[in-house]
Amino acid sequence: MKFKIGLIAVFFSAMVLIGCLPSAPGGGGGGERKITVYGFSIMKESLQKEIFPAFAAKWRAEHNGEEVKFESSFAGSETVTNQILQGVPADVGIFSIERDVDRLIQAGHVPNDWYVTPQKGIVNKTPFVIIVRKGNPQGIADFADLGKEGVKLIHPDPVSSGGAQWSILAIYGSELRKSEAETGKRDETRALNTLKAIWKNVIATPGSAREARTQFELGQGDALVTYELEALLMKDANAPIDVVVPKATIFSEHPVAIIDRNVTPDERPVVEAFRNFLWSDEAQKAFVKNHFRSVTNESFNDANPQFAKIEMPFTVEYFGGWKKAYPDVIEKVFRDQVQKK
Amino acid sequence: MSANLSNIRHTHGLDVVKPLSITTLILVMMPLVLLPLASIFIFGTSSGLRSFWNALTAPEAVFALQLSIVTSFWATVFNVVFGLFAAYVLTKYNFWGRNALIVTISLPTAIPTAVAGFALLLLWGPYGILGRFLDPHGIHLMFTAAAIILANIFVTFPLAFGVIKPVFDTMNQSLEEASATMGATRWQTFWHVTLPSLRGAILSGALLTFARAVGEFGSTILVSGNLAGRTQTAPLYIFAKFNEGQVEAANAIAIVLALFSFLIFSVLFLARDWLEAE
Repeated sequence: MKFKIGLIAVFFSAMVLIGCLPSAPGGGGGGERKITVYGFSIMKESLQKEIFPAFAAKWRAEHNGEEVKFESSFAGSETVTNQILQGVPADVGIFSIERDVDRLIQAGHVPNDWYVTPQKGIVNKTPFVIIVRKGNPQGIADFADLGKEGVKLIHPDPVSSGGAQWSILAIYGSELRKSEAETGKRDETRALNTLKAIWKNVIATPGSAREARTQFELGQGDALVTYELEALLMKDANAPIDVVVPKATIFSEHPVAIIDRNVTPDERPVVEAFRNFLWSDEAQKAFVKNHFRSVTNESFNDANPQFAKIEMPFTVEYFGGWKKAYPDVIEKVFRDQVQKK
Repeated sequence: MSANLSNIRHTHGLDVVKPLSITTLILVMMPLVLLPLASIFIFGTSSGLRSFWNALTAPEAVFALQLSIVTSFWATVFNVVFGLFAAYVLTKYNFWGRNALIVTISLPTAIPTAVAGFALLLLWGPYGILGRFLDPHGIHLMFTAAAIILANIFVTFPLAFGVIKPVFDTMNQSLEEASATMGATRWQTFWHVTLPSLRGAILSGALLTFARAVGEFGSTILVSGNLAGRTQTAPLYIFAKFNEGQVEAANAIAIVLALFSFLIFSVLFLARDWLEAE
């Protein structure tokens, strides 16, 4: 009987001890505002290290010491979009590709007039480059070399990753752009064949650009097509890699949108202030420090000596914007002709 | 006992079978289980104990571990009580559809955990079959701790039941009958006769459920929203850190979970002997 009472006592004290939800780290205290941000994978460092603290300090100074707390989650851009479509409590989403904002507009999460600045909702940009092992043992000089026999390529999955779609546009567009410069005509057959040859060499399709980088860092594959930002972050960490800058490549442009249905009228001022803060000189310079390129002022980009010079840069506008690029290239070229083989 | 018997029967002089079979056992386990586990420990502490400790005490890591324990705890409480009740009902009463219910309880074992996750979303999500009616009233089940508990309950549903039911099946009916003839109420019989013989099964069912729930990933990543410091459990934290390339940080928490399950199964192992000896 004593045993039983003891057991029950232990059980209930355990219940009290571990049955209560933990309080959020750094939480507590009244008069505090909270912004929930869902971002695509590579936004993490610049947001958490620079942008969030900088905005919180600015808001504190301008609003009698009121604290702003950030909660954030990062994944592939398409994954983030799907999470928002299913109803995660995101106030702000930062995406790799504008197509994801279009999907949210269609579902009524984001209004049609979602951008308010001359940058059309784009907060920063970065070109697409190739990362190879130190010394470039396979002599890769441009995208086309990734299709060579025996090259093993890590490439994120375009189903979940925006970076993967940028990469496809970079490769395909690069061939179009070069052929156009050489002959005056966009050679779609050449672009398709290059993409096909490269895709044959893909050995893994991780869920996001960041996941792809981790796999590459753990020793898988010979090459990785990714954001220049990722390459520079790896260089900062002294990873044994070389960066190959293609002759013609795309600049990815990353939009921010407020998720209207999750933002109450009371929250709106702070959420809008945060979105607008992303285009402030302070935030744009912070992006440059973290290897994103500024979209408000090209001269900010001179502050980062590691940025590569791209000979023939282009943007998604080369394909007529995302509304054309997605069906024309990702679906009709990549999905229908490259992947289904 | 049986080991001694076989020794008596088969051993002439030096017994080579015993060391040989033990070596084989360990050699087979080596690449499959032991080395992968060891690599977590090697990797997690590779850049020194200091950075291991820092990774462990990062506020979001501590939160993730706490959240995992709390949500697993409530799922365990529910599933043990329910498993007990279900085993009781399904053993005592024979009725139409009984076998179908038994099979249904076991179903989550074979359902991919990701399916469990989106099934919950399809039902309780803001656009789900029932969730869409709750959403306008400000009731959000998904993307909260409640969602994680629901996912844990679903995924571990059959475990406690699976341990408790066989004990009911083999239970000595005559004891309960004797209790009844001595004028005990149904409740008294259950409390004083049935329950004590289930002690071992309840404990092992609870520990199994808890251990499984703490490690749950596939359903949690879909229903929790994966917000660091709010709805990110320990397995999600590990996944996030791994994806970010912070393999040591991921490993630090992995070590905690590995030690944790070692502890749980040690308790299970020791307590079983002890409970059976009672």
